[in-house]
Amino acid sequence: MPSLNEQSNLALKRTVIVAIFAAVAVVLSLVESAIPLNMSVPGAKLGLANIMVLTCLYFLRARDAFMMVLLKTLLSAFIFGTFSSFLFSIMGALFSFAAMWFLLVVGRKRLSVIGISIIGGIAHNIGQLTAASLYFNTTKIFYYLPMLLIMGVLTGIAVGIAVKYLIPSLSKLSLFEGFLAETA
Amino acid sequence: MKRGDILLIGLIVVIAAVFLVPRWLDGESSEKYHNGPRIAKITVDGKPFRTVELTGEEQTIEIKTEFGYNLLKVHDYGIEMIDADCPDKVCLTFGFIERNGGTIVCLPHKLLVEIEGASGEGDDLDAVVK
Repeated sequence: MPSLNEQSNLALKRTVIVAIFAAVAVVLSLVESAIPLNMSVPGAKLGLANIMVLTCLYFLRARDAFMMVLLKTLLSAFIFGTFSSFLFSIMGALFSFAAMWFLLVVGRKRLSVIGISIIGGIAHNIGQLTAASLYFNTTKIFYYLPMLLIMGVLTGIAVGIAVKYLIPSLSKLSLFEGFLAETA
Repeated sequence: MKRGDILLIGLIVVIAAVFLVPRWLDGESSEKYHNGPRIAKITVDGKPFRTVELTGEEQTIEIKTEFGYNLLKVHDYGIEMIDADCPDKVCLTFGFIERNGGTIVCLPHKLLVEIEGASGEGDDLDAVVK
């Protein structure tokens, strides 16, 4: 049964990619927290982990990418989070994932990865602010949204450029061979 | 970069500007007539902890709760978080706040500081009704 064999091979590859990407995303957020970059806007960050989420969405199916987002958020919560901060990051991560997935489905022809990563970053901020405003029962936290939007555009461009270079280089690896046809 | 990206960036910058520009203009005009005293409301875990009047004199407020330790400093009619033992230190990046609506949040410690006008402030609805 060669077809079954091939199928399980593909499933195995997917699992491996999800695991590797989640691990790299966690390392990237560790690296990011080590960079002493004063953004002067509270809550703003580079969002390097978003590189992996977007690349994963590009190569794999949405449910695999979803798995990867969950894994990444859980792992980072275990490493430097508390329970309450986990709730905020999962909210941001899910918002960001949903927005990027939607755009990849709808607007792939009109937007490049740069536009999608900008939306992803901003959706992450909005998700976290929404979680915080529900938690504290105040809408005043949205005071910081305009500044976060501007920062989101800048970091989104940086992340998008990284993804733009990452996708062609990963495509050369044999591990990703089976997934190129799906996305083309 | 496609055209859609540039449109998207433009749209977001415009939205952000719509919110930011009135705030800058408002900030400049309010400096001319330093309108009334402002207060900072400090809440921990949704419960009011303390309110402080924002005066020109320096004053430090220590907050020790079951969630952790934070140190606030009042000076020059504003307030600032100067120390905290939370893991992420995001609350320290809020910096010095002095305007109405300004907020400092420390998520891990469930701490929230909000600035409100004490009297006759434009965006204070209760004062208008009075």
